[in-house]
Amino acid sequence: MWIFIKLAWRNIFRNKRRTVIAGTAIGIGLASLIFVDALVIGMEQNMVKSATASYLGEGQIHRKGYRQTQEVELTVNKLDTVAAELKNSDIVQHFTLRAMSFAMITSPANVNSINLVGINPGTEKYLSQIDEAITQGTYFTGDDPRDIVIGSKLAEILEAGVGDRVVVTVAQAGSGELSQEMFRISGIFHFNIKEMDRGMAFVRLPKIQEMLALGNNVHEIALKFKDIKYGREKSLPFWSKFSRFGNEAVGWPVILPQLDAAFKLSEFSILLTGLILFGVVALGIVNTLFMSIHERMFEFGVLRAVGTRPLNVAALIIFEAGALAVISIFIGDIIGFVVTYITSVIGIDYTGIEFVGVTFRELLYPVLKWDQFILYPISVFLFTLVVGIYPAAYAAKMNPANAMRKSI
Amino acid sequence: MQFLKLSAKAVFLFLLFAFPLFAQTHPSDEDIHKIVERIDELYRANSSYSVMEMDIVTPHWERTLKMKIWTEGKKKTFIRITEPAKEQGVGTLRIGNEMWNYLPKTNKVIKVPPSMMMSSWMGSDFNNDDLVKEFTMVDDYTYQLITPPNPGPGLLYIRFIPKEGLPIVWGKIIISARAEDYIPVQENYYDDKGKLMRVMNFKDIKVFDGRKIPSVLELIPQTEEGHKTVLRYIEAKFNLDIGNDVFTLRHLRASD
Amino acid sequence: MMLKIAFRNIFRQKRRTILTALTMFGGFTLATFSIGWSDGTYNFIINMFTRNQLGHIQIHAKGYLDRPSIYKTINDYRLVGRQLDSLRQVEAWAPRLYSAGLVSVGDKSAGAQIIGIDPEREAATVNFNKKIVQGTYFQEAPAHEAIVGKGLATLLKASPGDTIVVVSQAADGSIANDLYTIIGISESGDDISDRMSFYLNLEDAQDLLALPGKVHEIAVVAYKLNEVPALTREIIKKLDNPNLEVDPWQDFAKSFYQAMKADQQGMWIMLFVIILIVAVGVLNTVLMSVLERRREYGLLKAMGTKPRQIFALVIYEVNILAIASIIIGAGLGSLINYIFSRQGITLPQAFTYGGIEFTKMFTEVTAQSLYIPAITVILAATFISIFPALRAARIEPAKSMRMH
Repeated sequence: MWIFIKLAWRNIFRNKRRTVIAGTAIGIGLASLIFVDALVIGMEQNMVKSATASYLGEGQIHRKGYRQTQEVELTVNKLDTVAAELKNSDIVQHFTLRAMSFAMITSPANVNSINLVGINPGTEKYLSQIDEAITQGTYFTGDDPRDIVIGSKLAEILEAGVGDRVVVTVAQAGSGELSQEMFRISGIFHFNIKEMDRGMAFVRLPKIQEMLALGNNVHEIALKFKDIKYGREKSLPFWSKFSRFGNEAVGWPVILPQLDAAFKLSEFSILLTGLILFGVVALGIVNTLFMSIHERMFEFGVLRAVGTRPLNVAALIIFEAGALAVISIFIGDIIGFVVTYITSVIGIDYTGIEFVGVTFRELLYPVLKWDQFILYPISVFLFTLVVGIYPAAYAAKMNPANAMRKSI
Repeated sequence: MQFLKLSAKAVFLFLLFAFPLFAQTHPSDEDIHKIVERIDELYRANSSYSVMEMDIVTPHWERTLKMKIWTEGKKKTFIRITEPAKEQGVGTLRIGNEMWNYLPKTNKVIKVPPSMMMSSWMGSDFNNDDLVKEFTMVDDYTYQLITPPNPGPGLLYIRFIPKEGLPIVWGKIIISARAEDYIPVQENYYDDKGKLMRVMNFKDIKVFDGRKIPSVLELIPQTEEGHKTVLRYIEAKFNLDIGNDVFTLRHLRASD
Repeated sequence: MMLKIAFRNIFRQKRRTILTALTMFGGFTLATFSIGWSDGTYNFIINMFTRNQLGHIQIHAKGYLDRPSIYKTINDYRLVGRQLDSLRQVEAWAPRLYSAGLVSVGDKSAGAQIIGIDPEREAATVNFNKKIVQGTYFQEAPAHEAIVGKGLATLLKASPGDTIVVVSQAADGSIANDLYTIIGISESGDDISDRMSFYLNLEDAQDLLALPGKVHEIAVVAYKLNEVPALTREIIKKLDNPNLEVDPWQDFAKSFYQAMKADQQGMWIMLFVIILIVAVGVLNTVLMSVLERRREYGLLKAMGTKPRQIFALVIYEVNILAIASIIIGAGLGSLINYIFSRQGITLPQAFTYGGIEFTKMFTEVTAQSLYIPAITVILAATFISIFPALRAARIEPAKSMRMH
């Protein structure tokens, strides 16, 4: 056996040009599998990010029923316990508390209805991109309780800019008593999402709790997991664990069913395209191997003619295929790693359109994983061996004289 | 004219005694205080009943509503529309934070959620805030007598700046009032940058129930072209005994 | 002459021909399929989204989209409708009237968005009739019926059969108010809109808001998504009304468009990789087959064939193969795309969105699914064969023949 492996290895290096061409061809196939796998992970993460990172969060906790009616009275139950448990959770990276209410905002020029959200600027910035979307003014620097950050379109409607005075009116929880506060616009954000730019304003959490007479209660806990994939895992014990006390913990697919639907379709599409890629790569391997073996039928004919047993010829061919695979894997892993690594660092600017907003301004970063360099090479290796069986069987069965004649 | 001159002179003299240094141009703090109180209390009463007409002009339509209004304290208001025919009988009852509308066409009373109480009233340029004044010029603003570049004859000008932190959108308000009786003539509302945002004119002074008030209030927003709201007092009584039946849902439903 | 030899060579060397052609043909077919699939997915998702409520194209009075106002109306929507009907690309259109108001059931009340719709057109355009989760859909004639969004129904504790009061301000400044009977509850898949939506028959709504014959929006659905940009231009031309704005979904659903665009760009990177692999495969095959035949070319040279002729021979051979592969591949690829555009590919998991169940996805038969792979294969084959062809042309007969 060993002799065949040695022989095969030597054969591979005898015709360097052919080996390099075949190895590169298969190697590029392998590299593209690695790259596309990394790309797909990057695309999926990008989609989740585009859905969740601007404001939503990967998961949210509310009182049951709050999502449907948004009644001010429906605050998260047992907030302290829930918050403590979130802090201790292994899978939660960040979470932030929010209280919110329908409100009217009045400027000297106009009145508009908005969704007023009270946030903790410190933890909020891990969950949303309000801080990055500020185009004028600042994101809650200092500690003035009268800071309010509003959307760009709202600023336009109110004819107000940074430093200007606005009055916000809300109805308190329970009593319904109107509560008014004066704020000064400290920042203006532009998400490039009409609904947010026109209809949202942010203030500090304690301020809105005071306005709504909520005490220390909040309406929403937005959270981010240590791994972005958890948000979509329906069976995650996290959801049931935090759906106690009359609360409800849901992942972003529940909150944004339309995006989840698009996501599912897109994922299926990517899967199928990945399969097609596999097909193309496999075709390439079959072709390369057949070419490099069939052109040498004369050689194998000689081998048979000098008395080599058919099984040994077949083994030689399969070992050659294996040796070629090893070289291809070496080339492919290097190309795959270099290409994927470079793109994963600098990102792929696949947008090509002007982005003023935040939501989709991210580049696409392929994600390198170790298993990409184990799984795909092993499949390529095994596949090459399997493909090698056909020419091997052919060579073993052939009539030496015939083979030699044909090749001339 | 005579009155104007006289009262101006009186103020002048008064000030001369109180603050010899500044007296030449400014009445005393105490005096301004009185003027401001007077403005505050012009329409205010423990209770009131009035019949009013409201002209609303927008670029899209013009209409006139006639209504009866009862008020008691700061908390209770009852409005019944009597004209035009289409809206006759429509009523609004407000008690504190609760507000109901009665619609004769559907014969239903609807409770207005607090969030809806803040928008403009009946399509006018008044908002809820204007109708139920929570703030007083005396307590919630700092004020100062000023002299504008082209003062009108016989007029006093007072500049009001809201006290920091109060939920007031205006950067400043300048009220001009008749020097003789402190009846306001015009209120100019400015934003923080000093841009004039709306003008309220007080016209046609009449005596109702022994009280001398401008009977026409004309509100002109400066930022919206073609908008105007005019309130006209037809009848008014102050500090009368209204009785318990007016501010009730039963009254609201009984389209009188 | 050389073309003849090239043909003869191709037919004589069947094994080599089949192998080379297989790479080109297989690569071409798969590339065609993946582009058709990608186009299909893209259209499918956009349609799922736009046909849920928005439509492909929206017509408004100038400035309505930027700052909605009850006064910015389309005054003769039936005329616009007739003009739309005269365009063959238009599948359906639906007029809508919007206003904000207060709705009340029993002692519960809430702010709502009043939406006046033409029941039949709304159903034809965005399948609104399929979004009724409880109760029934509108009759064709106005009958003071109302459909409320699910969240709003929860908020009002309302169910079909209840009477609902609406108060708003009519366009003439008067107080708009009327009674309706709730006949159904709808669920669009979007919580926010379901919490706000209150649907009336268009004529009832026009009556309520004193806007006889007027609407705020016309949603248009085209038969084919890729015709939308051209159709938009055509509608603008046809309407010829400077007071109307016609926008394709890319404009009024900008953030969705950008998300889709980002997603599609990602797909294009994958397609690029596929095409690259196809090109590499073609390169590899051609290079090998030329290298392996150096002896043959040496022989030709020895017989007095000119280098230019040998060069041409190699190029001809490769391109004949490429063209043949493309022709067969185009046939097979289109057939596959056509079959899957009809039969669809069953999703591993069916799901429901906006009242419609999705079980299958479909490919699209598009021009680009053919010409992109075709150009790739031809370019790859020609480009790749130039170097071996040059090499073959410059071959030294004696040396090359000695080598074997």
